[in-house]
Amino acid sequence: MTVSQAFPEDKEIKDVDSLIQRFEQLGYITDRALATAVYLVTKLQKPLLIEGHAGVGKTEVAKVLAAMLKTRLIRLQCYEGLDVNSAVYEWNYQKQLLAIKIEERTEQTVEEKEKHIFSKEFLLERPLLQSILADDVSPVLLIDEIDRADEAFEAFLLELLSDFQITVPEIGTIRAKYVPYVILTSNRTRELSDALKRRCFYHWIDYPSFEKEKKIVRARLPGIEKKLGEQVVRFVHAVRQLDLTKPPGVTETLDCAQAAMSLGKHQLDVELVEETLGCVAKSQEDVAKLKAAGIEKMLS
Amino acid sequence: MASMQQEEPERSAASIVEFCRFARDNGLSIGVQQTLNAIEVAKTTGVADREQLSFALRAVLTSSKEEWGRFNDLFEIFWSNSQRSSHPTSEEGQEVRFRTQRPQASSRAMMALSSGEGSSSDLEGKDVSGASAEQRLQKVDLSDVPHDDLAALEEISLRLFRKMSLRLSRRRKIKNLADRVDMRRTIRRSIPRGGDPIDLAFHGKKPYKHKLVIFLDVSGSMNSYSLFLVRFAYALQRYFKNVNTFLFSTNVVQVTDVLRNQDLSEALRGLSQRAAGWAGGTKIGESLKDFNQRHGTKLLSRKTVFIILSDGWDTGEPDTLAGELRAIKRRVQKLIWLNPLLGLDDYAPVTRGMSAALPYVNVFAAAHNLQSLLALERYL
Repeated sequence: MTVSQAFPEDKEIKDVDSLIQRFEQLGYITDRALATAVYLVTKLQKPLLIEGHAGVGKTEVAKVLAAMLKTRLIRLQCYEGLDVNSAVYEWNYQKQLLAIKIEERTEQTVEEKEKHIFSKEFLLERPLLQSILADDVSPVLLIDEIDRADEAFEAFLLELLSDFQITVPEIGTIRAKYVPYVILTSNRTRELSDALKRRCFYHWIDYPSFEKEKKIVRARLPGIEKKLGEQVVRFVHAVRQLDLTKPPGVTETLDCAQAAMSLGKHQLDVELVEETLGCVAKSQEDVAKLKAAGIEKMLS
Repeated sequence: MASMQQEEPERSAASIVEFCRFARDNGLSIGVQQTLNAIEVAKTTGVADREQLSFALRAVLTSSKEEWGRFNDLFEIFWSNSQRSSHPTSEEGQEVRFRTQRPQASSRAMMALSSGEGSSSDLEGKDVSGASAEQRLQKVDLSDVPHDDLAALEEISLRLFRKMSLRLSRRRKIKNLADRVDMRRTIRRSIPRGGDPIDLAFHGKKPYKHKLVIFLDVSGSMNSYSLFLVRFAYALQRYFKNVNTFLFSTNVVQVTDVLRNQDLSEALRGLSQRAAGWAGGTKIGESLKDFNQRHGTKLLSRKTVFIILSDGWDTGEPDTLAGELRAIKRRVQKLIWLNPLLGLDDYAPVTRGMSAALPYVNVFAAAHNLQSLLALERYL
């Protein structure tokens, strides 16, 4: 096993089953399929692309993975217009200007000065650069909602994801000493390029089954009464059948259960659901649709 | 899968290569690299546990939700095949069932349109010439063009559309000359001047490129207009890089590639081969739904301007139409509906389809003559 030398910490995860267990200890209930994918990430150093509806725990995978490996989580939140300056690196201009002033009276040649002000000392590391500069253990790099970034940025990612190196023109190419574990998430608001997909493992997270979601609620809200938890999960499952514009994810289930607990209720009734409707339905249309479908019917 | 466990590593590698080929034949996009990855992955997880192998291979070989959904069936069929010989893919029955079938392109001709089938009514005056003729033609209702004028109108329209497209691209460039100071280059340039930023460098603003999606109604009721609207789409597509054109009536066909053709008549001939159900009934809602499912994620974004050219006579459910339009509206920058009937004096958008659609439309404009089409420039 040559790989395990690069990742001394992964001796804990011998196989997929122990990974499922470790995830569960950290409060993340997962199935074998996802566990296999994550296991492959830790073994083969390839990125994992996770797609799925909003609120099914895509981002959470990276967080739990980092916690399990006891390593740093570096997060890059993508948005439209995200550019290299805010994702990879930026020069510290103020400091550079000051340095130029200070060096004015020295005997250095222009070339020397230039070399100095474009050295690592003046480099501001942004998430992607940070992720390959780690010098003790491999960090977990989370590239969140990659579908929001534009295509140009996606193309830029290709170099990083296949070779784990970044080129800064003034300094040269920086290679990762410890290859980061990369998790990408996408909400599928647009299709990602084939080139990017080809470099990644793929996993689709669907809404959890009734049993699994019950387990998740118990794991995340240990104090919840069993009956209340079941009711909430059953209700949310019924809501998902309604074809809302924003169907509730697991996050919404947890919100709803949390709300019921904070209000000191022991069971879910029509009144309570109406008061906390905002936990489940996130737009006026959805609220109307939900009411039209009959809350009482969905609770039974 | 006890038998697999005993197989030599080479044997299992060979099976995986075979499986990759099988999956590729059935529509999964798998290249050589994926196949190599699959072998590597199988080595890591082992082939003894079949469920685990399926999960691992699925993570490597699929890259979208659709492929993800189909994978299990393919996996089952391939591995459960007990009499797997050297060519497992040649078992006809299963393969045929799984191969995606392409819809037969209808051979209904649309050449009738390009040869000028317009009604030869004499409503408009004829005996004007030169510039005034051009002006008159610009206002003629497209369904009413006298037969003699067709060629002239065609030529004018192409020229004007071209001008408009050029103007649009030029306007974008001039507007974006100087924007923010580029600190990085400014500092670079300041070094030889002792650190004083004398030569400022500017960020050129990235040209903001719209994506255009044109959704063109070619149903029976639009027949008289379709001829020019296709040309309009053609002109836009020649001068804008990112235009995708779809024809629809009861179903949708993408014609982007056909309209890329340098020669217009060639392009129209290509269209006639592609168009299915040309000049049939209209199901706008269904067509949009189909579009959303097949192309939605790829083509719709904040940069997209979505143009629907239709008279709004919908034989489908208004609810479907409204729902699909809402879905599109949420994702695009602008939704434009061009309706040729809006040019008629006594027209009001009260058809069921049209009134269902209006709440989601940003721009509702006429498209009955050349002038109204040219006015579209304002919204692009």
